Amino acid sequence: MLLYLIKRLLYVVPIALAVSAVCFSLVFLAPGDPLSAVLPADASTEMVEKLKADYGFDKPIPVQFARWVGRAVQGDLGTSIATGRPVAIEIGRAISNTFVLAFFACAIGFTLGLFFGTVAGYFQGTWIDKLVTAIAVAGVSVPHYWLGMVLVIVFSVVLNVLPAVGMGADGSSQWAWDWEHLRFVILPAITLSMIPTGIITRTVRALVADILAREFVAALRGKGLTDRGVFMHVVKNAGPTTLAVMGVQLGYLLGGSILVETVFSWPGTGFLLNTAIFQRDVPLLQGTILFLALFFVALNLIVDLLQTLIDPRIKRS
Amino acid sequence: MNLTATLPAVVPARPAQGYWRSVLGRLVRDKVAMFCAFMLLAIVLIAIFAPWLAPYDPAAASMLKRLQPIGTEGHLLGTDELGRDLMTRLMYGGRLSLVMGIGPVVLAFVIGSLLGVTAGFAGGMVNTSIMRTVDVFYAFPSVLLAIAISGALGAGLVNALVSLTIVFIPPIVRVAESVTTQVRSLDYVEAARASGAGNAVIIRLHVLPNVVGPIFVYATGLVSVSLILASGLSFLGLGVKPPLAEWGLMLNTLRAAIYSNPWVAALPGLMIFTVSICCNLLSDGLRQAMDVTR
Amino acid sequence: MKQVALRCLAAAAVLVTLVAPAAAQGTLRIGMTAADIPLTTGQTDQGGEGQRFMGYTVYDALINWDLSSADKASQLVPGLATDWRADEKDRRRWILTIRKGAMFHDGSEFTAEAAVWNFDKLLKTDSPQYDSRQSAQGRSRIPAVAGYRAIDKYTLEITTKEPDAFLPYQIAWIMMSSPANWEKVGKSWAAYAKTPSGTGPWRVDRWTPRERAELVPNKNYWDPKRIPKLDRLVLLPLPEATSRVAALRSGQVDWIEAPPPDAIQSLRSAGLQIVTNAYPHNWTWHLSRIEGSPWNDIRIRKAANLAVDRDGLKKLLGGMMIPGEGHVTRSSPWFGNPSFKVRYDPNEARKLLAEAGYSKAKPVTVKILISASGSGQMQPLPMNEFVQQNLAEVGIKVDFEVVEWNTLINIWRAGAKDPSSRGAHGMNYSYFIQDPFTGFVRHVESTLVAPRGTNWGWYQDKEMDALLATARTTFEPAAQTKALQAVHEKFVDDALFVYITHDVNPRAMSPRVRGFVQAQNWFQDFSPVFMAPK
Repeated sequence: MLLYLIKRLLYVVPIALAVSAVCFSLVFLAPGDPLSAVLPADASTEMVEKLKADYGFDKPIPVQFARWVGRAVQGDLGTSIATGRPVAIEIGRAISNTFVLAFFACAIGFTLGLFFGTVAGYFQGTWIDKLVTAIAVAGVSVPHYWLGMVLVIVFSVVLNVLPAVGMGADGSSQWAWDWEHLRFVILPAITLSMIPTGIITRTVRALVADILAREFVAALRGKGLTDRGVFMHVVKNAGPTTLAVMGVQLGYLLGGSILVETVFSWPGTGFLLNTAIFQRDVPLLQGTILFLALFFVALNLIVDLLQTLIDPRIKRS
Repeated sequence: MNLTATLPAVVPARPAQGYWRSVLGRLVRDKVAMFCAFMLLAIVLIAIFAPWLAPYDPAAASMLKRLQPIGTEGHLLGTDELGRDLMTRLMYGGRLSLVMGIGPVVLAFVIGSLLGVTAGFAGGMVNTSIMRTVDVFYAFPSVLLAIAISGALGAGLVNALVSLTIVFIPPIVRVAESVTTQVRSLDYVEAARASGAGNAVIIRLHVLPNVVGPIFVYATGLVSVSLILASGLSFLGLGVKPPLAEWGLMLNTLRAAIYSNPWVAALPGLMIFTVSICCNLLSDGLRQAMDVTR
Repeated sequence: MKQVALRCLAAAAVLVTLVAPAAAQGTLRIGMTAADIPLTTGQTDQGGEGQRFMGYTVYDALINWDLSSADKASQLVPGLATDWRADEKDRRRWILTIRKGAMFHDGSEFTAEAAVWNFDKLLKTDSPQYDSRQSAQGRSRIPAVAGYRAIDKYTLEITTKEPDAFLPYQIAWIMMSSPANWEKVGKSWAAYAKTPSGTGPWRVDRWTPRERAELVPNKNYWDPKRIPKLDRLVLLPLPEATSRVAALRSGQVDWIEAPPPDAIQSLRSAGLQIVTNAYPHNWTWHLSRIEGSPWNDIRIRKAANLAVDRDGLKKLLGGMMIPGEGHVTRSSPWFGNPSFKVRYDPNEARKLLAEAGYSKAKPVTVKILISASGSGQMQPLPMNEFVQQNLAEVGIKVDFEVVEWNTLINIWRAGAKDPSSRGAHGMNYSYFIQDPFTGFVRHVESTLVAPRGTNWGWYQDKEMDALLATARTTFEPAAQTKALQAVHEKFVDDALFVYITHDVNPRAMSPRVRGFVQAQNWFQDFSPVFMAPK
């Protein structure tokens, strides 16, 4: 057990390093001029060259890479070209906003997913199962950015009951956990929760149906085990896999909220990423992606370890 | 957008004679799957034959006829923000959207299977180097990886195809590798090897028939993910560029009209949704039909 | 409904006369198109919008724009300098009299030394206060400045490389930050950005990067007429056009910049006001004049100008444009009296083309670079396609090459001879044409071809250079206007561009927003704005 833990932890190090390399290599891919975001439109070519030298973009790429890695190890992700603010600070501000959104999306998605999945698994083959399965398939099939647009039309524009954009009437820095602010999170959270709802429903349904179909459950029932007892049994057996799926989903929500955050102008990491892409702000792009990917790696590690703790029989290679 | 939760159950049994026929038989009896297959076929045919079926030129703009509502005479589904016929654009849009939905999956299917089978069959250093590389890409959430690569490469059809292919290769490699490893260690394969069968023969006779099925099922499930991701890229402005017709891009450019003409603006999204849900249901049906154990 | 609105209006009018300007009125929330709060340290980024919301609000230039009138093109007016003049004996030497008693928000006084300190901030790379970010924004605005010094506390001297009568327009770009505040926050521009201090009518109360900035009135502003009536001005970056409309319609903001044209009708019918006005903007085809370009033939240039049905285009844009009659709008003092009348006359166009040897059956082919979107580009695709159709009617066949907006900017910098221009004979570009340099000089002066400047088309003409030199060395305002008219007349008479349209800079706002006067300028004054009670 301990050996597994150590092995698993050590394995993360090369992955994290390789992830950083991939993030840096994005700069090789990037065509065009990373400085076009900074200069006024009528600056001449001469001025572009001068500024390039100021920012060190005229240096050979290996030199730029060495600098980047050297600073990243110390937690310095460089400076945003467009804003001049440290990338780490930009991400820090955005990530907490994304967490708020992901928290609600997860709360909705996990609750609905677990509920739907369990019900469908219990009533496999009935109309309840079919209905739930249909909802789940719809959840994973709907382009959620489109759903977000539709929700805005209905609830913000036509009914005018919920705000369309942003994170509170006075900005995310004044965020509070009260209704005035929670109103803003409803639409984006619902939109973002569609995929986890669908995926968790499907997973849980399959697990529950599978466990209930096993011979020993019938045997247990025969021995007079109560429904409650059977349910506990299901929970115990379906728990670890469900947990793993939920962990991965949380990771996807954090890394994949860019479309929803763009539709709702939610000031999180996705919105930041979108801005970075369109302003060709390479340091910000690299830093944000590195941060999110490393977070995803860590999350997977935690899920793995938790799973092993709950059910030591599971040992992933 | 989940790439891990839908891993199919590996069927390490050697497919019996007529296995595919029985799969097809079961699939045909699945009404939902058949309906979806029919819908998809219709959409694909319409897209392919768009130049003959479409009532207008997809690029023919008319400032006089901008944003006509659904049901306008001559423009059954209305017109877009440049006065182009929406039905025409949806037909043509299907071409690029389907290419962007299916293309990366096919490419990833070929490349991923090759890598996975190689890794599983060769074992040792080859396996380690391939699988560890795959692990690195696995460490990125799929949407993030797609957007990161597209964002760096810039907008464009080819760039979007490349980035999505890169996203889909790792999960396919994983499936192919695990199935291959299992098949390789099966008794009858060992026996075949002992009786002097060469690698090529073993791969052709024993590995491929077993591997293709699970990966194929898995890949069909990816088409819907790919379609949504691809149109998502276009929606962000990272996919195909105007004035080309593509559903995600149409959704993007029609967004400004969402107040004046919401239903027209919603149509491309509806198309993505329809194709995506049909792909998912068909993939589910296929999975069930192939799952001999149940 | 109308009745109610009228009554409200009347009531508001009464209220204004009774209460204004003594009582501050309400909070105005503006949705900007920028993705971020513009740089708050003085010299702003985010282009014209940055200067509009974070420049002329919080800061002043030595020379400001007069933004009080909607009816005439804006003129320069005294800002932190009350008076400026070029030395009669040495035209390269300018003397500016600094306003006495103009105070920064931190309480320090603006002086000639502060002005020098600010020029150093942009131009003197080894000065402690040099800021590469502000320099990147400001340096290119003041190419004429060669030197500067404080003669005494209230007298500033600026020297130029050559005699340059356009200097005041350049100076109007330069925002004055507070040296005292910079010292106070530990000589750091990053810290300065958090607690900015200018001399402007608005003070930054608080701001969150990428989300919002809140400005409050500076009650001690040196021009009492421009002390803001509002309690608070909130700026929100909402780069997504649809999000801006949604925010306006759901009442999250009271005012949005640049509503998407397709949303305007629905915004109007939802009871929101759409405010428009002419402003110095030109949506044009910049023509390549390098060897082999068909545009080197003036008959073809004139024919193209005569072939464009601008009224038709206007109808299609829902009236949201001003037909181009020249490089600047007719309301500009520089319009002059060109002999070539830019108008829709396809027959005359055909005749000119026939003289040049072309016809509808045997058209001249040109390749034009266009973008699919871009700031100030209006609706480039349909508009260009409309023009393409017009030109095809007379015998000019246009092939488009669509590139990304940022790519187009880079091509424009690189010039028509650069391979990145792909052999194109022209490009569709929209120009900021607020002053003589941005309006005329940079497009046509011989020396400003790449890499030195942005004369994309490599138009090089001795006569034009002479006219520009005359205007640049004419210091008496009325005479300078005359000289610039001569420049513009040559622009039009030689049909140097295909003049198509000027944007009208639409803004959409809640009916509660009152008192706004949309100046014919890229910048606006928010001081007279107030919110009617709910």
